Amino acid sequence: MINSATLRANAEDQAARFPALLARAEHLAGAVLLGAHGRRRAGVGDDFWQYRPAQQGDSRRRIDHRRSAMGDQEFVREREWQIAQSVMLWVDQGASMRFTSDPKLPEKADRARLLGLAVAILLQRGGERVGLTGTALPPRSGTPQILRLAEAFCQDDAADYAPPEHRAMIPHARAVFISDFMGDLDGVTLALTKAADRGVRGVLCHVLDPSEEAFPFTGRTIFESMGGTIHHETLKANDLKSRYLERLAERKAELQRLCALTGWHYGLHHTNASAQSALLWLYSALDTRAGAAA
Amino acid sequence: MTVLGGIGFSAPWLLLGLLALPILWLILRAVPPAPIRRRFPGVALLLGLKDSETVSDRTPWWLLLLRMLAVAAIIIGLAGPILNPQEQQADGSGPLLIVLDGSWAGAPRWAQQSEVIDAQLTRAARANRTVGFLTLTQPEEPAFQSADVWRTRLAGLQPAPWQPSDGNITRAIEIAETLDGFDTLWFSDGLGFDGREDMLAALQDRGSVEVYQTGANVMGMAPATYEDGAITLTVKRALAGTPREVSLNAQGRDPAGNIRILATVPATFEDGAVEATAQLALPAELRARITRFDIAGQRSAGATTLVDDGLRRREVALIAGRDDREGLELLSPLHYIEQALAPSADLIDGSLADILPANPDVIVMADVATLSDAEQAPLIEWIENGGMLVRFAGPRIAASDISRDTEDPLMPVRLRAGGRSVGGAMSWGEPKSLDAFRDSSPFFGLEIPSDVVVSAQVVAQPDPTLANRVIASLSDGTPLVTRKALGQGQIVLFHVTATAEWSTLPLSGLFVQMMERLAISSSSAGIDAQDLQGTTWTPLRVMDGFGLLEDAGNLPGVDGADLAGAATGPGLQPGIYASGDRRIARNVVTAQTVLSPAKWPGDVPVRGLFVAPEKPLAGWLLSLSILLLLADVVASLALSGRLLKRSNAAAVVLLGLLYMPAPADAQDADAFALNATAEMTLAYVVTGNGAVDELSEAGLRGLSDTLFFRTSVEPANPIGVDLERDELAFFPMLYWPITPEQPRPSGDAYAKLNDYLRSGGLILFDTRDANIAGFGAASPNGRKLQELAAPLDIPPLEPLPGDHVLTRTFYLLQDFPGRHTGRDVWVESSPPDAEQIEGMPFRNLNDGVTPVVIGGNDWAAAWAVTPGGAPMVPVGRGFAGERQRELAYRFGVNLVMHVLTGNYKSDQVHVPALLDRLGQ
Repeated sequence: MINSATLRANAEDQAARFPALLARAEHLAGAVLLGAHGRRRAGVGDDFWQYRPAQQGDSRRRIDHRRSAMGDQEFVREREWQIAQSVMLWVDQGASMRFTSDPKLPEKADRARLLGLAVAILLQRGGERVGLTGTALPPRSGTPQILRLAEAFCQDDAADYAPPEHRAMIPHARAVFISDFMGDLDGVTLALTKAADRGVRGVLCHVLDPSEEAFPFTGRTIFESMGGTIHHETLKANDLKSRYLERLAERKAELQRLCALTGWHYGLHHTNASAQSALLWLYSALDTRAGAAA
Repeated sequence: MTVLGGIGFSAPWLLLGLLALPILWLILRAVPPAPIRRRFPGVALLLGLKDSETVSDRTPWWLLLLRMLAVAAIIIGLAGPILNPQEQQADGSGPLLIVLDGSWAGAPRWAQQSEVIDAQLTRAARANRTVGFLTLTQPEEPAFQSADVWRTRLAGLQPAPWQPSDGNITRAIEIAETLDGFDTLWFSDGLGFDGREDMLAALQDRGSVEVYQTGANVMGMAPATYEDGAITLTVKRALAGTPREVSLNAQGRDPAGNIRILATVPATFEDGAVEATAQLALPAELRARITRFDIAGQRSAGATTLVDDGLRRREVALIAGRDDREGLELLSPLHYIEQALAPSADLIDGSLADILPANPDVIVMADVATLSDAEQAPLIEWIENGGMLVRFAGPRIAASDISRDTEDPLMPVRLRAGGRSVGGAMSWGEPKSLDAFRDSSPFFGLEIPSDVVVSAQVVAQPDPTLANRVIASLSDGTPLVTRKALGQGQIVLFHVTATAEWSTLPLSGLFVQMMERLAISSSSAGIDAQDLQGTTWTPLRVMDGFGLLEDAGNLPGVDGADLAGAATGPGLQPGIYASGDRRIARNVVTAQTVLSPAKWPGDVPVRGLFVAPEKPLAGWLLSLSILLLLADVVASLALSGRLLKRSNAAAVVLLGLLYMPAPADAQDADAFALNATAEMTLAYVVTGNGAVDELSEAGLRGLSDTLFFRTSVEPANPIGVDLERDELAFFPMLYWPITPEQPRPSGDAYAKLNDYLRSGGLILFDTRDANIAGFGAASPNGRKLQELAAPLDIPPLEPLPGDHVLTRTFYLLQDFPGRHTGRDVWVESSPPDAEQIEGMPFRNLNDGVTPVVIGGNDWAAAWAVTPGGAPMVPVGRGFAGERQRELAYRFGVNLVMHVLTGNYKSDQVHVPALLDRLGQ
């Protein structure tokens, strides 16, 4: 039975995190200036594209009289086609993300959610539709979607290592995967190949804690996963360092290889680095044309 | 018990456990330290990795060493180590001679020495050895007897109050040479003396010599001297060693007649010094009671110094026949006698009637011829009770009829009329010099300088008693000084003046010595062989080796020169010696004595008298092991990285237990004083109400800023004072906001506050209630103010008059608003006689600063600014409000100026300028 006081304290704690994450994400996103996002073709939009002679079938209301009054021919003003992209986010909510080696550093999950939400805010401001992979929160536009995303990001996953959600991917949409990719790589491979099959391009953001890069452990140690499901005991932890780093490098190389195969972008972010730079990279990586080199 | 390296073990076999330590070392090395559990997401990458070696990280060597030490301490501790185990000595055979120094130096440790002798006698008895005793201070042929017999007589051995002399040693060596074949136990007192080496050689000829000598330092005290109003005590020690403080006791009779310690003074031996001195200043009454000084804890004749007349300053009353010649000091009849007596006696001036009740020791009357009956009778009574009257002749006595026909009770002899004059312009002959003093004279032995001549004198009538009464005469036999006894006292007449008019005697050193001999003055220079030449002194009371005084019995008298110079011995025991009226204390240690420690050649085994008690070390070692294990806990935690994570709290608690915080009150007080006095500081009374205190601080900050900007007063940040704890004297003024709930200060705090008010402090009481109820009892703040101020020393008050100096110390003000604009501000009332002079704008009012200003305008609120400088509390409305705040600041400036400059602006000098300003 949950004590009501505890429940309330927990609830307040949760509630307090939510606007904080949102506010920080907004703050982060506010630092990025949005560029033009046109489709470079005539269509529905606000920006001028071209004047073209009116043709049969054009509504009279579309005739641009200022331009037409300059001559005998009637012109229609065409606007640039501006269309909203669908961007699907997957932020790893697994237990392994809730790790930090130093109380002064944010947890990986914290940083990942921050980046995810900030990029969502940026995209939403750019008029894109943002959502989560899977069926829980399909891409939608509008501010309320940010709130829904923030809410979704506040839910932790009990599993140690969560595989990327790859269901219900919208063809030709964009995707952002943020994770430490410490779990089984098969899931990632599956998700990426499936995405590539559907023409979904995107960004892999690899978030790591500095201690995961440095492996600063010595002595007799039992390593446990965050959920406590996996154990590994060693008598001399410092002996393992080189082999661990080797494996980590292999993993990074594998992820990069996968990305190159499927046309995704791969980026590595450490929680002790600034979130701003990661956000900038994420945003620019998303903004590049499909097929452009990372 | 097994003894290893000076430490005995009650269970030595347990020490074999130490052999297990290397094994333990190997085991501890092999067993890995407990694993650390770490959460680490990267564990997924570690799966399947094998350790390259199966040996874990080794425990660091120092941690192993720590644990080894802990285990070793436990093992050794359990083996029952004992420091100073009583060791066994081999019993010898043959006769045993026990040689004692037997001097005063051994007295403080005589009991210990007796115990050791007793133990040795027991051993000798066990070995069936005969024992003889030889005391070096009183050498006698030793009788070799059974040790048991000696044990019963051990208590009869007493130290002598002297050191072995050359004669003693010679005699002892002779004795030793007559004996054959014995072993010697020499109990040395620790002081060296001449002939010790010879004695040792003589003893070593006969058998083995073993020396028992205490390691304790021998101390002695030189006679006390009196100089410049203080008694100087000099303590000596044999071994110059570490600094040491000893306390010196002055003993004497209290008014009830019981011997007790009258004063104690510490003396400190500096590092490496063998002498220490202490000054003891005592009132004359107390000083006169002192009979002896001794060193606390040193019970010996050498550590005791008896007090003789040297410390006792007699009270001498001086009465002159004529006081009418003011200004001619050298002609004053008392000038020379004052000069002679002033260094060594306490002089009293006054009329005879005033002096006699003070019961002086001596009354000196210079050329006083007649006394009234009312004076004469009590004077005679005083003499009969032991007083001493010293009279000097002079023109008045020569001209008077006193003691002419019949002997005056206050004159020792009858006098001829007119006196005589020799060697003058109108007389025959040369001025007469003094005859040598006869041996019945108290002056016997004094050397007469050749330049002492007498040119005029009064002449004694030849009488049957005259010859007995003369104690000094001229070369022609004319009496110069006569004396007679009267009751217990005496009357001495100098037949010359106390000035240099009739003789050169007052100019000579002889005069001073004669005063000393008459015990009018007491010598401060100590006894001097020269001085005592030719006198014989009889012992009154003598000291034994422990420093106890006992009756001298029928000991023979000693020669004065010996008394001064010779070392103490059987013929000259330390004690109190008397000759006539004079008392001299002879002490063992004199100012010249050097205490030299006894040094023994290397081949003589020297044992201490003090047998160190056995000291079990098990507890210490076990405690040590626990401490080491605790250190091991901390070190292990630190090593595994857990000390600062999980055990944070535990470590803090542990450290807190180990290091109890020392009280830092004194530092606090110092810091407070420094803080308050480095710059001029305004202060407020901390009421305990957080909001009020904050506002007070902010208010004074605002006022300080204002003062800083506008005036040359540049205060530092204001300080809150706790009336109970803090010193108030540092602050020119206190702001005291009244809250109904604040605690009443304690009595001490009120005493401090009253001190503060009396010494020029000012307290601004602020009831902060706009004085809505007047100062009646209605408002809670007003009631509280009345309650708080009741014990304060506050003068009568009046509402601030229009011409009070507060209205013009810096700004010209009529109102004194704060956050409220109540008119009434109360200050010390002006004196009732202050009246306004026509044409002057203000009265010449009370001097000084009003100690209190009482109001209710909540000034602090009006002054209050944030640290950024913005006002904290709204005052009034809009522009008028800002004006009000400005006036509040001006009141504050005026108040501080008033406190700092007092009534300066009250001075009428400022009238023209003020009139100009006021536009009148």
